[in-house]
Amino acid sequence: MSEVFTVPFLRVAFAGGLIVGSLCAFLGVHVVLRRIVFVGAALAQVSSAGVGLALCTGANPATVSLALTLGGVAAFAVRFGNRRITQESIIGVAYALASAIAVLFVAKSAHAEAYMLNLLSGNILTITPGQVYLTVFLFAVTVLMWSLFQKQFMFSAFDPETAKAHGIRVAFWDLLFYVILGIVISFSIRVVGMLLVFAFLVLPAVTALLLSQRFVGIYAFAIVSAAVSTVSGLLLSYKLDLPTGPTIVVFSGILLLASSIVSKLRG
Amino acid sequence: MNQSSQLAGDESADRGFLVVMEHADLGYGKWRVLSDVNLSVSKGDFLAIVGPNGAGKTTILKTMLGIIRPLRGNVAKAPGVRFSYVPQRQSMDEVYPLTALEVALMGRYSLMSPIGKPSRSDLAFVLSCMERVGIEDLADRQFRELSGGQKQKTLIARALAAEPDLIALDEPTNDMDVASEYAIMELLRDLYDSQKITIVMVSHLLNVVVNYAKTIALVDGGLKTIGPVSELVSSENLFRVYGIPVELVECGTRRVVLAGR
Repeated sequence: MSEVFTVPFLRVAFAGGLIVGSLCAFLGVHVVLRRIVFVGAALAQVSSAGVGLALCTGANPATVSLALTLGGVAAFAVRFGNRRITQESIIGVAYALASAIAVLFVAKSAHAEAYMLNLLSGNILTITPGQVYLTVFLFAVTVLMWSLFQKQFMFSAFDPETAKAHGIRVAFWDLLFYVILGIVISFSIRVVGMLLVFAFLVLPAVTALLLSQRFVGIYAFAIVSAAVSTVSGLLLSYKLDLPTGPTIVVFSGILLLASSIVSKLRG
Repeated sequence: MNQSSQLAGDESADRGFLVVMEHADLGYGKWRVLSDVNLSVSKGDFLAIVGPNGAGKTTILKTMLGIIRPLRGNVAKAPGVRFSYVPQRQSMDEVYPLTALEVALMGRYSLMSPIGKPSRSDLAFVLSCMERVGIEDLADRQFRELSGGQKQKTLIARALAAEPDLIALDEPTNDMDVASEYAIMELLRDLYDSQKITIVMVSHLLNVVVNYAKTIALVDGGLKTIGPVSELVSSENLFRVYGIPVELVECGTRRVVLAGR
């Protein structure tokens, strides 16, 4: 099995998967706590619609995908005053529309269809060293923002009304959180695919929240959980010739199941 | 025109106003809850906003604090005045794994540098606020695991951490047993008496309000009337607001409100 680590593209896949997984797991803690798990799914879908639009028009997929994702971010960041429409339903509308639009954009191009299929399930084995460096940079920026402004992010999310009454600019910090999330999702889905990004945003965070009650511990467990499932999934998929992304997600699910048993036993 | 602004320095200093609402229509989006509200809170007030469920009490409080903007009219704060808010504890999201100390620390955030972590002196001050309300031994406990009374005290400690001129509380004793209700109200009375903090609270519990507040605002579909508790709390006024006979009974030094005949 050790020969896996001697294959250059596999080494890059390991590195990329570990960093994307850790970054999504870190942000995922706040995605889960803010109860916006499906914002991640919807943003990923909006991002893929952007890729579809770019393939259809010949524009740069990265740029169009990011622009559309940031548009979605702006819509999701608004706390709607309209009591007849919940934010949850807006997320559902965005998800359904973005999925349909993405399919329509690529319907007439075989090349685009293959590209989109790859985007959906992802192929971690095609990560390039350049993407790994960019992910490291994104991770560093995200952690830096968090260490500088953790107070504002936390107060705005936990108790927005009191934060506002105390002079915290809740709308700004919410928007900044969503912008960071949008950029990370938009970039990550082109590296590892929508399935893995969504899984990394949710499963490691839930695993960690079952195992620890302190934020340092929660971040650590989430990142370790994402890393262990990435390495195990990659090794197993190599050994058994299975699709890599789904194998990683299943491993992540097994860790979540184990952590829920540990949590139950602890009482 | 809707406006949230600051009172001119001289005006607020002369009359001791901390916040003034003038001809304000209040609500959410296009939904108007209250019309033409005129209300002022002066330094040293202990104001209770009282009325039936759904009357718009919380809407007044949130507009006063700047959480929502008035739909029309003017809401003005005195320059430099600092508000703290104690929301209904049931509105706190219990999924967050925060200790009581971490929750109380949030009250300090608006006074700290925007960048970085709380300093040792911030931490010491917040711990002293927790001690002030009698929960210093709960600092490391998870907020979500505390009892209703302990949560309320944590939220009051958080409000004190902001060194406020005015603390606004939304239904602070809702769903509490008698002992916890008494403890919270005595704590508020003590803060009012000893620290001279202006208090504005929303409550539908008349028996609580008549024994602690100095001023009362009766709300039902609009601000009906505002004035000293001793003058305004009468069977006639309460009948006007609640639409049922209400009897006020003196019981030693305390007053009891009885509904019906």
